[in-house]
Amino acid sequence: MTVTPDLDIETREALAELVLSVADDEFVIGFWDSEWTGIAPMLEEDVATSSIAQDEIGHAKALYELLGELTGEDADQIAFGRDTDGYRHAALLNHRRGDWAFSVARRYLYETADAVRLGALAHSAHEPLALLTGKMRREETYHLLHAEAWLRRLGDAPGDARARFANAIRDLWADAQDVFAPLAGEEVLVRSGMLPTPMRALHADWQARVRPALEPIAGPLPAAAPSLDGRERRSDDFAWLHSEFTSVARAEERATW
Amino acid sequence: MSTPPAERVWEVFRQEDEGDPMVHAGNVNAPDAELALHYAREFYGRRGESHRLWIVPRDEITELDDPDLLKPPFDRSHKKPGGYIIKHKLEAAKQRALAETGE
Repeated sequence: MTVTPDLDIETREALAELVLSVADDEFVIGFWDSEWTGIAPMLEEDVATSSIAQDEIGHAKALYELLGELTGEDADQIAFGRDTDGYRHAALLNHRRGDWAFSVARRYLYETADAVRLGALAHSAHEPLALLTGKMRREETYHLLHAEAWLRRLGDAPGDARARFANAIRDLWADAQDVFAPLAGEEVLVRSGMLPTPMRALHADWQARVRPALEPIAGPLPAAAPSLDGRERRSDDFAWLHSEFTSVARAEERATW
Repeated sequence: MSTPPAERVWEVFRQEDEGDPMVHAGNVNAPDAELALHYAREFYGRRGESHRLWIVPRDEITELDDPDLLKPPFDRSHKKPGGYIIKHKLEAAKQRALAETGE
């Protein structure tokens, strides 16, 4: 395992925190959305949703490997070897899959936030991160188009579907802000250009982008900002998911295949 | 429960590399062109196996399967290239061209 040598400890730890937050977001939404495999509304959508969920796990894998280069840890160990408290995904991803409208609402909120974040990270001064997130962006563009396609469909749908979708948006709105929750070492990251734009500014960009799309469907959304513990709150739903996705790793510790 | 939007069948053609012929890959159900594109990509491109896809609504394809037009009852052998050997003529033409440019 090669450890990136030319970074001081403070910068390295801050960078590790940033990479972990993005990796855990991708990892957890990948697992939640894979809960639709076999039961999505139609066969084609089942394959599409499952494939997108797999893409997210693939992104998480690459990010955990990048993190391993910073900390010397093993990617599988990072992914599956932590207790629930050790995960740093945003509160938006604490909720179970819910119904289709709920999953679509969450994916739209997440994909739009992720797009804004990746737009900044693709210009990170840490070149391996810039390269990786640049590559992720190419795939995430399609994820975003897919989420937007469903937003319009459910937004224009008659009766129950639209109402469920509007409710899901309102229910998730507060926690969605936390994709932009401040990071412990953010000041160092911004100063060194590793995070070219502060989370606060990215958050403002994201809100300006999603409000005009969401409010015609969900009505006026309240003023909302990321919370300080937005990446530390854990839920019973997540504890359940964690026990699911670690079950194979726990059954046969350090197994290889 | 409200009725889901009407679905159409979309025929998907794929090209493996630039310049290769478009080959029929299969089809997907989708309510519109936008989702048809997403589904075609996931079914026929998600493993990196396609360079280009064409996604065509089946009901806009003009079909011809009339046997009177495609398999007419008369002898068609005079429309096939069999029995006409072009190999030697080609060879002679090549030699002629060589002789001309060689001078």
